[in-house]
Amino acid sequence: MKVGGIFGITALIVLIYLWEWPKLKKNGRKIIVVFFTLITIGWVLAILLVLFPNMPGPSQLIDFIFKPIGRYWEIS
Amino acid sequence: MMDSSRRRKNNYISLVLLLCLIILLLAGCWDRTEVNDLAIILATGVDVSKKEAIELSVQVFIPKPAEGGQQEGVSSGTNSSQTLVRSAEGVTIADAMSRLQEKLTRRIFWGQNEVLVIGEKLAKRGIEDQIDFWMRHSEPRERADVFVSMDSAKEVLESMPELERDSAKQLRKLVDSQIGVKVTVKDLSEMLSGEAGAAVIPWVAKLSPSNLGVNKGKNIPFIQGAAVLRGDKMVGWLSDKETRGILWPRNEMKSGIITIRTNGETGYVSLNLLRSNNQLMPKIMNGKWSIRVKTDADLEVIQNTSNLSLLHSKSLKEVERKVVQEIEDREKLALSKTQEKLNADIFGFAEAFQRKYPRIWRRKSSEWKEIFPKVDITFETKVNIIRTGLENEEARKGGEEK
Amino acid sequence: MIEKGKISPFQMALIIYAVVVGTAILYIPFITAQHAKRDLWLSPIWAALSGFLIVFIITKLYKLYPKKTLVEYSELILGRTLGKIIGFIFLFFLLYDTAIAFREYGEFVESAFLHKTPLVVVTGGIALTCAFAVHGGIEVLGRCAIIFLPIVLVLYLIIYLFLIPDLNVKNIFPIMEYGWIPSIKGSLAPHAWLSQFSLLSFLLPFLSDETKGMKWSILSVSVSVMTMVYINLGNIFLFGGIITSTQFPVFQAARYISIGSIFEHVESIVIAVWVLGGFVQLSAFFYMLVLGTSQWLKLHSHKPIILPFGFLIILFSVWSASSFQEMIRSMGTTTPFYFITIQLLIPMLLLFVAVIREKLRKA
Repeated sequence: MKVGGIFGITALIVLIYLWEWPKLKKNGRKIIVVFFTLITIGWVLAILLVLFPNMPGPSQLIDFIFKPIGRYWEIS
Repeated sequence: MMDSSRRRKNNYISLVLLLCLIILLLAGCWDRTEVNDLAIILATGVDVSKKEAIELSVQVFIPKPAEGGQQEGVSSGTNSSQTLVRSAEGVTIADAMSRLQEKLTRRIFWGQNEVLVIGEKLAKRGIEDQIDFWMRHSEPRERADVFVSMDSAKEVLESMPELERDSAKQLRKLVDSQIGVKVTVKDLSEMLSGEAGAAVIPWVAKLSPSNLGVNKGKNIPFIQGAAVLRGDKMVGWLSDKETRGILWPRNEMKSGIITIRTNGETGYVSLNLLRSNNQLMPKIMNGKWSIRVKTDADLEVIQNTSNLSLLHSKSLKEVERKVVQEIEDREKLALSKTQEKLNADIFGFAEAFQRKYPRIWRRKSSEWKEIFPKVDITFETKVNIIRTGLENEEARKGGEEK
Repeated sequence: MIEKGKISPFQMALIIYAVVVGTAILYIPFITAQHAKRDLWLSPIWAALSGFLIVFIITKLYKLYPKKTLVEYSELILGRTLGKIIGFIFLFFLLYDTAIAFREYGEFVESAFLHKTPLVVVTGGIALTCAFAVHGGIEVLGRCAIIFLPIVLVLYLIIYLFLIPDLNVKNIFPIMEYGWIPSIKGSLAPHAWLSQFSLLSFLLPFLSDETKGMKWSILSVSVSVMTMVYINLGNIFLFGGIITSTQFPVFQAARYISIGSIFEHVESIVIAVWVLGGFVQLSAFFYMLVLGTSQWLKLHSHKPIILPFGFLIILFSVWSASSFQEMIRSMGTTTPFYFITIQLLIPMLLLFVAVIREKLRKA
């Protein structure tokens, strides 16, 4: 299952790459760098999420920061 | 030239691949539902069973073309039923449903279920947990009408009405006629969680069929009064007449016929209710809780067998006075039973007090059970006879003398 | 300029209305009712404060830095490094906000209809559709809004009109049984939703008629608040005491419609129309995110990064909450503070510094 997920994600990323590549070439170096950074972040994050679905994320950070005020809104 | 054609080719390939990927996603069809894979449920009955906690019965629609049609003429009324009834037992409704599913080849579909019948025994034991399924599950509708049946609910579902297609339709039509109470799952849930903590549900009884020779042993469900619930348990029953009485204070009285007799007359006057509006006016004074039931009704005369001439304002006043008395008598009858015997606040008095005196209510709401039987109830009824019908008394009497 | 398209002020008002109200009507009644109970219809009125304040700040900032978005002028106001940091914080927030909006959309479709379909498929499907709209740029968005939103608005109105026989006006009494506090407490989530008017900053530069920007923004806030009040009132009239336990009151209300036992079971139509509004909302979010990022990085075109961002949004939408309950809980407690902090405090800070700069320059 997990292997399938990783394979699927990789396939998706490759497809996005293939789709965008012809246009990327025209647009210069900077956008290529940005594009690759973004899909690499996406790819790594996706695989991490497949492997560890309960990985703490930004929501946990927000919860942690705003807990002192948010506490008053908890429904007992 | 070469380059651009290759680029176009590349583009094309990746587009095709992307489209293939979308097709992959679509082919999943996780939630595909086909009409011919569904067992469409028209009515549900919940009973207490012997072995397990719950017996769930469902009335399933049998999809088949209406037989005969015009050639055979009127062939309905025979036993060509369009529904079947199946039941299963379980610890909860959901559990029973999963066992029921084993008996049906098609997937149970609640979307069209419009009637929920609760057996008397179960109603006495408590229905909160059953209503939870109805409110929580996303398929059953909150609009379904709720009933409590005399004896088992399964029997009601199996019964064969004479005029309607099936018992679900029969019950639904009956409550829609607005003569008795009409309670949907949403209303019931609202009543149960409300401040008053009491509810009324139409009561289904059996009527023997008109043609006993053919339909022997097959009873027709009809509505006779209402079951009264306190908390989520049934505590009593109101007769048809008493149910009429509770409709006034609940502001649910929208149609009906009132027949009265004035003093010193042998005949009767019947009036048709056109409109009515009802208000509860709560009052707390010196720790004494009282409520004024204010009624405004418009009526028209539909029959007059008495010698009163309704053209005279004096006799009209007399009739109005009598109607007021009649309405108040009905209300008193219902109130005395629910207030003194059953101690169930099904009129929304609690909400009325809460709305007017939120502060006092907050302190006293826990004592409502003790306060309610002592609430003093007064009536203020105003009746308008707005039409006296098409005929005029003078003409009729003229005929008699000849 | 990356984007050369223009939209009319009316289109802008509709887009921002979709952004705020799209998912709000689904989640606001339930979250608000947890605290405000019967007074849930008052909460959006308090929240209007946030909306008006933010519109005021954003339009003031825009006047100081015309033709610039928040990401661009934060650099001009705070200097390159600090400006970039603020820009990043805001964009990260926007990514999170967008992801949450997709999640809300997905969760609703899941719990109402497609119980077994994986969430990713639902959100992925709409993300792909939105990607096309984003590709088309701001003009496409504006036109989508002008075509779809009137239908959606009429739908909101109609649901409760059809339910008039079932509405019980008495349900709202006693008003403020427990004083002001519950309704103010309940206004937290509406505050968060209305604070999204800060995203106007990404639309104002594309107005064809800038003089009317302020007027239409204010109008949009008012209509948003009115919609929320209307929906909340309709729900309290219909559901009364059980409003606190109905998760999607608008959906359940649509299911409750029954006129003459002929016109019923209309929820599918309601959802189908609602999805139109959802599409405009999600596309707008998506567009602002992509546009903001390309401005932040000073790219020449926003188009190549649409798909990678779509992918990231879906990931974040999965990542943002482990379950529906978790999402609802955080939307009622901590997430609104995140929304308000970023969308109210950052523009406020920017305006403050900008005004001081202006004063110093003149002096």
